[in-house]
Amino acid sequence: MSSTGEAADTARVEVRAIMARKGHAVELARQVEDRLDEAFASGALVRTPFLAQALDDLDAALDLEAGQKLGGKSAEASRFILRAIDGALDEA
Amino acid sequence: MIDRLLGGAKLSDEQKRRVPPGQYVTEKFPVLHYGSVPRTDLATWDFRVYGEVDNPLRFTWQEFKAFPRKQVHTDIHCVTRWTKLDTDFEGVPIQHVLDLARLRSDARFVVAHCEQGYTTNLPLDVLDDDDVLLADTFAGQPLEPEHGWPLRLFVPKRYFWKSAKWVRGLEFLAHDQLGFWERYGYSNSADPWKEERYSDG
Repeated sequence: MSSTGEAADTARVEVRAIMARKGHAVELARQVEDRLDEAFASGALVRTPFLAQALDDLDAALDLEAGQKLGGKSAEASRFILRAIDGALDEA
Repeated sequence: MIDRLLGGAKLSDEQKRRVPPGQYVTEKFPVLHYGSVPRTDLATWDFRVYGEVDNPLRFTWQEFKAFPRKQVHTDIHCVTRWTKLDTDFEGVPIQHVLDLARLRSDARFVVAHCEQGYTTNLPLDVLDDDDVLLADTFAGQPLEPEHGWPLRLFVPKRYFWKSAKWVRGLEFLAHDQLGFWERYGYSNSADPWKEERYSDG
């Protein structure tokens, strides 16, 4: 059952606003992660199994070891995962 | 542009016939992955085979290197549209691993599990093909780290994201389970000759 109420609506609007911003997909993905973590922590949204998987995948895509550059597919993975998160947000 | 899509003017007619639709030929070996290139210690590296098998396996790098080996000369095709002709990969034929693991009759699909949580999935009948390897060698040399060292799955009849780098295990399943890119919109079947790049067309 998806979350309802003002906090849930605000969180969804703000997450989608980040996704809609102009900017590098990797940076936007990190901002979305932060905003969703905040929403989960406050109880505004529920971390559904799909979102948990998507955020785990996003972590992997954005993982950067010291001394390395992010792989060329990190941005594409971010775009694809953000699109999936957008589609799943109403269920959270 | 047309030359690029057809594989360039230097290709013979026979070579051009080997280039799937929408692909161009490169002599380079582009590096495409997300995240970082994992650091691997062969002393602690292992490989697991599990799921719908009667004989789950765990083997070390030393044990892997003692398995029978096979060379495959073929073309590879990336979803990002490059094709590389006449590549030479070498490794352990997948049939050796399938035989050792003794798959159960309900095993129909496989998920390749890799470093950093990367996964990709295949039907068993695609995995169990003569040109499929657990590959550790390209062009006579150990794989370079950015190309999957020490080991990658090699499934040349599918777009190359299915040839998962840094593979650490195979999980056999009765049902299909989407891998990383497949979850987010890449084609599940990934046949380059049908140009199956994305699941939404």
